Amino acid sequence: MFEAFGRWLDWMAGRFYRAFLEADRWKLYLQGLGVTLEMTVIALALGLILGLVIAVVRTAHDQQRPGRRSFLLGIANVLCNIYTTVIRGTPMMVQLLIWSFVIFSTSRNKVMVGFIGLGINSGAYVAEIIRGGLMSVDIGQSEAGRSLGLNYFDTMRFIVIPQAFKNILPSLGNEFITLFKDTSLVSAIGAAELTYHASRIGGRTFDYMPPLIGIAFMYLAIVIVFTWAQGKLERRLRESDRR
Amino acid sequence: MIDVKNLSKSFGDHLVLDDISEHISPGEKVVVIGPSGSGKSTFLRCLNLLETPTKGTITFEDTVITDPKVKIDRVRQQMGMVFQHFNLFPNMTIRKNITLAPVRTGLMRQEEADGLALSLLQRVDLVDKAEAYPNQLSGGQKQRIAIVRALAMKPKVMLFDEPTSALDPEMVGEVLDVMKELARDGMTMVVVTHEMGFAREVGSRVLFMDGGHILEQNTPQEFFDHPQNPRTQLFLSKVL
Repeated sequence: MFEAFGRWLDWMAGRFYRAFLEADRWKLYLQGLGVTLEMTVIALALGLILGLVIAVVRTAHDQQRPGRRSFLLGIANVLCNIYTTVIRGTPMMVQLLIWSFVIFSTSRNKVMVGFIGLGINSGAYVAEIIRGGLMSVDIGQSEAGRSLGLNYFDTMRFIVIPQAFKNILPSLGNEFITLFKDTSLVSAIGAAELTYHASRIGGRTFDYMPPLIGIAFMYLAIVIVFTWAQGKLERRLRESDRR
Repeated sequence: MIDVKNLSKSFGDHLVLDDISEHISPGEKVVVIGPSGSGKSTFLRCLNLLETPTKGTITFEDTVITDPKVKIDRVRQQMGMVFQHFNLFPNMTIRKNITLAPVRTGLMRQEEADGLALSLLQRVDLVDKAEAYPNQLSGGQKQRIAIVRALAMKPKVMLFDEPTSALDPEMVGEVLDVMKELARDGMTMVVVTHEMGFAREVGSRVLFMDGGHILEQNTPQEFFDHPQNPRTQLFLSKVL
């Protein structure tokens, strides 16, 4: 009985050795992890910029005074609406495949295609998060700003957005985590991130279990660390409320 | 100074202001009273276009501000407003609350605005709070700061929307004192309030509103001692 367990342990150790240590394969995981994190950060930055622009356009459009509706803002609002509807209404995987095999079919830089696809996808969700955050700020705040003669954008910039930021931080953190995990989909278009390397190694060693379990733990560890850091940041922001 | 002609405002099917015409002259202290839901706050908020009138025109110093082409920010810079719930900016210090608008609208440079903020804070006896945040202040202090913030724009008229209604009773006095001083200095004021004592003491004219109409107006003396309209008499019998 004890002997059988010993043999099983040996066998497992051998499998994990082949998946991680043999031929310096751990370097591939590290490389993949690097690409994954890089894609997450760039896609999030892209998503944030897109999201902020769309959220401000849509909020500005909704808050216009009757009789002073701007035609340009109307068009921008329609475009933003189409964008969010299409992006949120189609699967991420399908979007990535379209980016890779239809729009950028000649590009060989699949990592770039990956973060463009992820970033544009994320933008639609971030836009809704930010819009919710902007609407959560008491209307009296922007009324006070406007009654002092500040224009719409100064009121947004100095009064509403800083206050909305605190409200959207938790949802934004969740979006970061989702985005981080969704980078694994990019392996399907051949960008050399973590999941891509794991399945390649699984194919080469004819043993998928160790690399896949291994990267699952890597994803999990990073998400746990990030969740912890996010909680800490939120607590600090809340403390500044009680100043 | 402010001329209101045939002003109507409805929210959906609900008519809040019904064909109001009114004139406010420089230096006047107009006090608007009336039961809740009478449209008095909406009337005040129409004066600086926080509410867009459904019908009618409002003219402020030869500018028809209800004209869609008017640069409303320019107009609002000359009309201070004080809100029931103070609406100080919680993400900024008191000094920044006061100086933000004068600096951003190009009225003055930061150093100038800081100096002005200091002297205004002296007037309301809150200099030591300059670097504090709004959440550290009491209601009465917040409202005095809100008045100062509006004054920093050097407005020609001040609009007060129930400035003492959200205050603890013991703090009402300190806010009214600041308003009285402002009145003595000759500021044109339009005040929506439930403070009958203030209306009688400071007002140069009292308007009584109900159901979207101005039912009666008079000097405070006449208005409180000899109300004409039966609705006014009923209201005053309840609040005095």
